[in-house]
Amino acid sequence: MISMEQVLVKLEKVGKKYGIGTAALTVLDDIELSIDKGEFVGFVGASGSGKTTLMNILGCLDRPSEGKYFLLGDDISSLSDDRLSRIRNQRIGFVFQSFNLIPELTVLENVEVPLFYKKTPRKKRKAKCLELLDAVGLSERTTHQPAQLSGGECQRVAIARALVNEPTMLLADEPTGNLDSRSGMDILKLFHDLHRSGKSILIVTHNLEIAAGLPRVVELRDGRVLSDRAQRPAAKAVEA
Amino acid sequence: MWGERLAEIFFLGMKNLLRNKLRSFLTMLGMIFGVGSVIAMLSVGAGARHEILSRIQELGICNIIINSVQPPEETKAEDIAWMSHYGLTFDDADYIESTIPTVKKLLRVNLVKQRISYGSTRIEASVLGVEPEHLEMFGLDVCRGRRFNMIDSATCARVCIIRKDLVKQLKTVDDPLGMVLKIGRRSFQVIGVLADEQFRSHTRKALAIDDRSQEVYIPYSSSMRTFGTVTYFQKTGSREISEVELDQIIVQAESSDKVLPTSLMTAAMLKNFHEKKDYEIVVPLELLQQSEETQQIFNVVMVLIASISLVVGGIGIANIMLATITERTREIGIRRALGAQRKDIMIQFLTETVAIAAVGGLLGALFGVVAILGIVEFTQWKALIEPHYIIISLGISCTVGILFGIFPARRAAFMDPIAALRHE
Repeated sequence: MISMEQVLVKLEKVGKKYGIGTAALTVLDDIELSIDKGEFVGFVGASGSGKTTLMNILGCLDRPSEGKYFLLGDDISSLSDDRLSRIRNQRIGFVFQSFNLIPELTVLENVEVPLFYKKTPRKKRKAKCLELLDAVGLSERTTHQPAQLSGGECQRVAIARALVNEPTMLLADEPTGNLDSRSGMDILKLFHDLHRSGKSILIVTHNLEIAAGLPRVVELRDGRVLSDRAQRPAAKAVEA
Repeated sequence: MWGERLAEIFFLGMKNLLRNKLRSFLTMLGMIFGVGSVIAMLSVGAGARHEILSRIQELGICNIIINSVQPPEETKAEDIAWMSHYGLTFDDADYIESTIPTVKKLLRVNLVKQRISYGSTRIEASVLGVEPEHLEMFGLDVCRGRRFNMIDSATCARVCIIRKDLVKQLKTVDDPLGMVLKIGRRSFQVIGVLADEQFRSHTRKALAIDDRSQEVYIPYSSSMRTFGTVTYFQKTGSREISEVELDQIIVQAESSDKVLPTSLMTAAMLKNFHEKKDYEIVVPLELLQQSEETQQIFNVVMVLIASISLVVGGIGIANIMLATITERTREIGIRRALGAQRKDIMIQFLTETVAIAAVGGLLGALFGVVAILGIVEFTQWKALIEPHYIIISLGISCTVGILFGIFPARRAAFMDPIAALRHE
């Protein structure tokens, strides 16, 4: 069942607790979730609902304390730190709320980072990065420092960086949270374009307008899945 | 592939260092002083070693020098003898020459204990009666005039060869060649001037070698014919007459590995002929070995002292790296999220530490060389600066960098990526 080709993510009774014994704080409890390749899923919920912890687990930054997480059929919960690093490097592209670009590096160098850890030769790296920066419309800014860019541009650099290793899924944690609505819409449109070209995208948001435009929305509350519904994307959001 | 990758990481590290020039420089200071002092110590040590070495080599590595010494005062019972008689004899020299197979050459030296004067100037110097080959064997080159030849010794010519230093002491403007010196009451003509003695006297004293800059050489046969073997000394209130047949015998062994056997055989032979210990045997090779051992110990102690500052420098670097890592926690989190393994983070920070240390080491080598040149300028020390010091200082500083970089680098590598990402 798990080896089924199109299943991207499968969570079985996943729980996460901090601390031990009676003092333990349960952040995630008994999460069952299955996401196919090519899906565009939004995670919504109030702060403290456990969506960030869930993202960390899905992004292989954290391991569940209970249950199992299968990514493309591999049981993540039993892998070593080095294997997890490699999975993050090659299968997952992160987009953060605060962009998380390395301020000392230029735009081009920032995009190169994942390829560096994939041990791609230098020349190939540069060509690939320029191609992606061009795709997000930043080919003019490759030698700038992140501090010289606007928020929307920074986020586009981050998306280029997330895509550079051709990951199986894109994980975005409040990607529009630090942006004005105009650039937020641009970024969202970029995500929709990527989705249409076949990328699997998981996005955490508390912006209900954004969530309304997504094909599938998972709502969390107090560490549990409150609802998991497929919806017809609102035409407006897609067009935007 | 790996080299290119490391070079890239190194380049990145250097860029980070250049971003914080003042801080990097202050961090390096410990390294600079540490490596500088090690280099300074090494070059002073090497200089001293070099000086001693060439001094001993001048004495001849294959030579054994046997000196006559006055035995300690005896009981006054047999003081009937009005003349004391001691030291090496002609027979000793003949026996050594004819019976010890490893002897290549044997030279006799007669020390003439007479005063020297030129006009009204009295000169403090010792006169040595030497065989013609003597000067050559000790590598004493005449810078003017000529050496002794066979005719000089066959005719017992009254000629002498003096040191350049001595010419200065005479305070004369006359051409030293052809000048006539008085040794005792006899006149000797200067036929040659020896090049300057280039070694300073303190190393000689350290090595218990006589100062030879005050020597005047005359042919052995002339000294025997003119002055004989009896020395007459008159001091205030007493006079002393002594007879010493040979003051010095120089034995040259066939090769340097035959030196020790030869000296043992010579010692055994002389012991048979002499009741009293009225001679001493000096083996330059042994002196060399002894001084090398002493020098080695000196070097080790000095380098140990210098390495204390290296440790202090290393701690300084580790301290700054810990601060840097706290500052760059978020970068570490980002890199980890993007797929850096723990060892990648570790290598990155270790490289940065080694880069600081290596640059510090090179600057330190420079500092050490400059310092030592200054010291040499103002003191009479000898120092030897060798090109391999660069490799030594790089080696030392990289080792310190790695040793003190491991702890901060590990700390960076084992940070929790989630916490690091959230770090402000």
